[in-house]
Amino acid sequence: MKKWNRGAKVALAVAATAGLVIGALSPATAATRTTVVIVDSNVFTSLNSSTPDTNLVLNGNVAYLSGAGFNYYDEKPELVRNTTFGTYKIMSKTPTFKVKYTVNKGRLWSDGTPITGVDLLLSNVISSDAYSIAAGLGDPASEDKKPAFDSLGYGGSYSKLIKDVSIAPDRMSVVLTYSKYFPDWEIAGPGPSPVHALVAMAMGEKKLGTSAHNVALKSKFLNAYIAKDKDLLSKIGKVWSNDYNVTSVDAKTNPLLLVCNGAYIVDNIVKDQRVTMKLNSNYNSGLPTSGIEKVVFTTIPDPTAAAQALANKEVDFYEAIATADSVAALKKIGAAVTVEGVTLATYEHAEVRSGKEQGTKVDYTGPFDGMSQKAKDLRTAWLLAYPRQEIIDKIVKPVNAKAVVMNSHQYFPSEPNYSKMVAASGMAKFTAGTQADRTADALALVKKYYPSAAAGSASVKLTMLWGSPSNTRRSAEAALVKAEVAKAGFDVTTTPTSGWSSFLGDPKFDVQFYAWSKTALTQAGNFGSFKSTDSQTGYNNLEMDKIITRLETEVLTPTEIYNLYLAAEKILVEDAVTIPLFQWPGVIAYNSALKGVNPSPLSPSFLWNFWDWHF
Amino acid sequence: MFAFIMRRLGTLAVILFGSSFLLYNLAALSGDPLADLRTSREPNAAQQIIALTRKLQLDIPPPLRYFYWLRGLFGVFIGKFDLGQTRGGESVASAIGSAVPTTVRLVTTATLTAIILGISIGIVTALRQYSKFDYSMTFVSFLLFSLPIFWVAVLLKQFMAIGFNNWLGEPSIPIKTVVLIGIILGLIISSVVGGDRAKSWKIFGVSAIATMLVLQVLVKINWFLQPGLGPIFYLLGSVGIAFGVTQLSMGISNRVALKSSLTVAGIAFVLYFPMQKVFEMQKQGLLLAAAATLTILIAVGVALYFAKIDRAAVVRTTVLTAVLLGILMIVDQLMGTWERYMGSDAINYRPVPTVGQTNPLLEPGDYWVSTLDLLMHLVLPTIALTAISFAGYIRFSRGTMLEVLNQDYIRTARAKGLTERTVIMRHAFRNTMIPMTTIIVVDFASIIGGAIITERVFGWTGMGTLFNKAVGSFDLNLLMGVFFLTGTLALVANLVADLLYSALDPRIRVGSGK
Amino acid sequence: MIFSKKKNVEALEETSIINKEIEGLSQGQIVRRRFFRHKGAMISIIFLASIIVFVYSSLKMKIFSFTYPGWWKYTIEDLPPLELGACKDGLVGCPTLSLRPEFLGGNGISLGEHPFGQDDIGRDYFALVMRGAQRSLMVTFVIGFIGGTIGTVVGAISGFYRGIVDSVLMRFTDFIITIPTIIIGSVIGFHFGNLGVGFLAFYLGLFAWTGLSRLVRGEFLTLREREFVDAARVAGATNRRIIFKHILPNAVGIIIVSVTLLMSGAILLETALSYLGFGVVSPDVSLGSLISQYQESFTTRPWLFWYPGLFIISIALSINFIGDGLRDAFDPRQRRRITKKDRERAVRLKREAAQK
Repeated sequence: MKKWNRGAKVALAVAATAGLVIGALSPATAATRTTVVIVDSNVFTSLNSSTPDTNLVLNGNVAYLSGAGFNYYDEKPELVRNTTFGTYKIMSKTPTFKVKYTVNKGRLWSDGTPITGVDLLLSNVISSDAYSIAAGLGDPASEDKKPAFDSLGYGGSYSKLIKDVSIAPDRMSVVLTYSKYFPDWEIAGPGPSPVHALVAMAMGEKKLGTSAHNVALKSKFLNAYIAKDKDLLSKIGKVWSNDYNVTSVDAKTNPLLLVCNGAYIVDNIVKDQRVTMKLNSNYNSGLPTSGIEKVVFTTIPDPTAAAQALANKEVDFYEAIATADSVAALKKIGAAVTVEGVTLATYEHAEVRSGKEQGTKVDYTGPFDGMSQKAKDLRTAWLLAYPRQEIIDKIVKPVNAKAVVMNSHQYFPSEPNYSKMVAASGMAKFTAGTQADRTADALALVKKYYPSAAAGSASVKLTMLWGSPSNTRRSAEAALVKAEVAKAGFDVTTTPTSGWSSFLGDPKFDVQFYAWSKTALTQAGNFGSFKSTDSQTGYNNLEMDKIITRLETEVLTPTEIYNLYLAAEKILVEDAVTIPLFQWPGVIAYNSALKGVNPSPLSPSFLWNFWDWHF
Repeated sequence: MFAFIMRRLGTLAVILFGSSFLLYNLAALSGDPLADLRTSREPNAAQQIIALTRKLQLDIPPPLRYFYWLRGLFGVFIGKFDLGQTRGGESVASAIGSAVPTTVRLVTTATLTAIILGISIGIVTALRQYSKFDYSMTFVSFLLFSLPIFWVAVLLKQFMAIGFNNWLGEPSIPIKTVVLIGIILGLIISSVVGGDRAKSWKIFGVSAIATMLVLQVLVKINWFLQPGLGPIFYLLGSVGIAFGVTQLSMGISNRVALKSSLTVAGIAFVLYFPMQKVFEMQKQGLLLAAAATLTILIAVGVALYFAKIDRAAVVRTTVLTAVLLGILMIVDQLMGTWERYMGSDAINYRPVPTVGQTNPLLEPGDYWVSTLDLLMHLVLPTIALTAISFAGYIRFSRGTMLEVLNQDYIRTARAKGLTERTVIMRHAFRNTMIPMTTIIVVDFASIIGGAIITERVFGWTGMGTLFNKAVGSFDLNLLMGVFFLTGTLALVANLVADLLYSALDPRIRVGSGK
Repeated sequence: MIFSKKKNVEALEETSIINKEIEGLSQGQIVRRRFFRHKGAMISIIFLASIIVFVYSSLKMKIFSFTYPGWWKYTIEDLPPLELGACKDGLVGCPTLSLRPEFLGGNGISLGEHPFGQDDIGRDYFALVMRGAQRSLMVTFVIGFIGGTIGTVVGAISGFYRGIVDSVLMRFTDFIITIPTIIIGSVIGFHFGNLGVGFLAFYLGLFAWTGLSRLVRGEFLTLREREFVDAARVAGATNRRIIFKHILPNAVGIIIVSVTLLMSGAILLETALSYLGFGVVSPDVSLGSLISQYQESFTTRPWLFWYPGLFIISIALSINFIGDGLRDAFDPRQRRRITKKDRERAVRLKREAAQK
């Protein structure tokens, strides 16, 4: 009958031509939303983001929502202990450094199985080279054969320092024994893995088991771990390395793959399109969530498309590539979308070559070579003429109006020690006066060695390495540098290089600029790449090497650490081999109805406090 | 002939071997898969480099590594076909297996629309050569052809999705816009119909005013929020289709064909009411397939009942009518679903999406809502792809048609006293289609290669995206997999085009060396 | 209706009018005449020529040691300060071009300091668009030239000689069809650095000829069987002479048309490659790289998007129209529409002839 009415309406209206006025159908007020749709530019590839090929942002974000461990980074950023899940403390500092990790009683996996200390042991299997070799699972450093666990974690600080992992008799704690003190021990700790599910899958099971069965499986894993049972562990390794690589999840997917202890569990994945996660009803390993029942990650590679989808209310959350236009375009959408500038833990810096990279054959013979006064002066001139303020004003400020020139390698401008460090490190040399003054000083320095130097004289010819030809910010930076340094007598070739990062050690390039990104806060700080053995720009200073070694290995007080950082920065200013430019601006835009968003500069950036999110 | 095809297939294999070898080596040289790790500040970066080198077999020189890949390919003969794994650990065959349907869905509709629209406009412009319509279509098609696709996409999304959805919030059209739309449509219609000045003014006036009135009425009755045809308009539409199809294929004067088509329209109208119930049943996919078969059977039956001579032509006409009627009924059903779709939480009165293949929040279960959702997600990409690609078909069909119209056999046909309709549809049109066919074959093969940019701007992961990803991440296995499929198809299509051409045009022989 | 009836008598009359018109003219003259009559093509050719002159004369250029000053005050290397003047909403670098005369309430027709505005760091956008247009035009013509030459030569040789030569060349064409252009681009980019836009155009041209060669081959296959070719052969003409003097002039129509299509396709190909990051790279610019770089500006600083877009459309559109005109002109059977004037003229001529 409905059809007939509509037809009649049309007929009547046509006859009358005036038309009938029917009360405008106003959109019904939708119930409070409980779903957040988040844009990601990549496609989902694996439920395990710890193998070399699956270590992608989207996989990691899904893992973050579906997991909870001993600690996480907040927005400050500081490492926060998750005491809901468990506790950890230093047992002894000397003679052996020991840390104990304990899981709180009653924590559950999503299938209802209790979490115990046994679940922490897999961390050792996937991080320790020594264990992998001892259990016959293969040498992770071997060049021709994969270890049974194709893990990203091998070969790192964990593997180098942790000598033993033992489980307490009540099976709720593990004790990590280090060979020597390790300043950044907190971020090297273990995390939980559903070992019962792994064992079940290794034995070919396709269904969730009963709790008694799961407890038995756990013991089985413990026995295998202690006995270094190569057979079972290899089977588990196969599951861990391969079976988690699923690109679609539906009713037919093995539910054992999805067992997790995070707030959200994967509900379904449509290949190449989206990941839908729903609340985990057994979640008690972390802070309670605030009303979001579903989180959807949807894949949109093109930034304009993502912004338009946000404007069309198809998605709720988008972390944009920050350009002046993207920010302005997002703001133009109106009040329905909140646009927030964020600063990322990534900073742009300029490097100057001072020698050849250790272990390469081709020598560097450019004007900046070596530690002679001439080379130092020329490098200083280069850095003086580097138009840092102009770069920030023209490129960064349109995105983040509060952006400032960064003057320290170790600290970001927002950190408390920043001003103290900048005042003492000698960076004043590169900030004094106007850019015109500094460029004039630079010209004077160049004139010492090239008497004919003048603005535009092209006395010193250089080649600059920089990448990403499609990145507008980078090409604008290069153009600004080229124009300014020309006034100090430099002539720099600024053609971009594709695959640029392969050429970081190439002596063809005298200068380079790119970004470094911090993924964790460590005592060693940001100086690792100035170690003579690691420097790709051929920097070699024994004094610097000593400082870095101390930072990497000694037990130090905060003051001692600060003083070492300061000494390192002073040396870098003196040798004029590098200069920080600016902290990368980021921008997030989201449905204004969504509350509780508070982004962190460190990964997983905006997602870190998902439990506070609500509409 | 057989020997010729075998020989061509043989050389095809050799070519594929050569180009895949070349491509593999070029791709291996095109960048450094370890590049990201070189700037990594992770403590175990060195070991990660070892792990990746091991995994991608980077220590084996590319010319040799190629044969490892080839070995997997030749596995097809021993039942162990293996294109390797992508860098993400997925099998290449499955990655391609899921990308092909996506691409086909994205591009087929657009290509079909472009072909149908392009050829019909091309033919009309040829018949009206140097008319206003010809000039304006030439201009419009060249203009669309000159637009970069990502630009078209941005504009479409801004105006046809975001703008339209906002407008639906309060669907009223300002009088100025109504007048403008009326005038534009009037101009188009009058220039297509042609005729002398007085006639074209009359047509312009009538169609412009009619358009304005219809628009006003549609807005007044809230048609944009509750669209639908209803049985009356379905009946009117069916009769219109019956007349139209008959006129184009056999001429209204052919009473048998007209009777047959009208009978089918009558049957469709009677079936309209029970079909409403059928549409609400489960397993729509199966039911629709059955209904389609039934439709064709009924049409054939009716045609055979009426036609005593020239049976094939009448059957063709009737079946075409019946199929169009079926489509119209489905369109009506979808229109009826519109309100339900719009009101769902997932859509929330914003029906035109800008991105993706389906709405992530839509609860599965309702066949018609899901179908509508799928179709809505196809709207913008299809318009964009059609707009930029139909110019080629217009130009080509116009040129061919003009050439054919000047042939002697057309003159003979006219001289024989055949009606202009018969001359054009039976003689000119068919001969125009010969060269068009070969072009279409090659085009369809290249479809599988995907539309890199279109896929990207509309957030679809098809073959284009795979290719782009493979190039960007130095994923050799994936790249070679994509290449193997698209390269083979391109070569086979060229072969098929050559064969088709010789089959359709008896003047051309294949394989004649001398 | 679409099918209008034409009286056969009238058709015959038309033929006679046309025949009268081309009496005593050579093929070249007929083509030229027809082409000059094609309004769209004529407007386009003048338009394109003016764009080329305008674009290439605008900027300062160094040609070996000689420096051409250019009539525009900025180059793409200049970094003038960012102007805030004409802008609203806190934007910088808006266009100062004003086309609205004062009596219509505008600011009069003037260029201002930066008619097309400025980019993020202050570079004059007019200069960037001019440089972009220079590059894009170059890409277009280089691809047209290289692709056209190779396509014609390969197609002609394989169509004329047939047999084994044909097989080898056509399979080589197939080989080229299968190689994706992007891969070549990235290999070159990675190993040889940025070799500039000229090289980009060159290698794109090397891969753009396949469709043309198939077309030319088909044309040659038909033409070589024609009577006039047999006649020439009997008269003892060499293959070379037959190809160049007899067949090529007859195939030139289809070649020119395809080349124009190739060219308008080229400007879009370059745009697409730039969008994907494989095209022209900074500091150099092309229209394609500008428009893809600033596609995000569409809602905020639309001029950064529209000006290069306008040039892309203008160039592609006029090349297409020229091609269309050429196609119509070269089609030997093509007839022009008979206007009323023609008919009157024919009647007058007939009457005059009768009076004599």
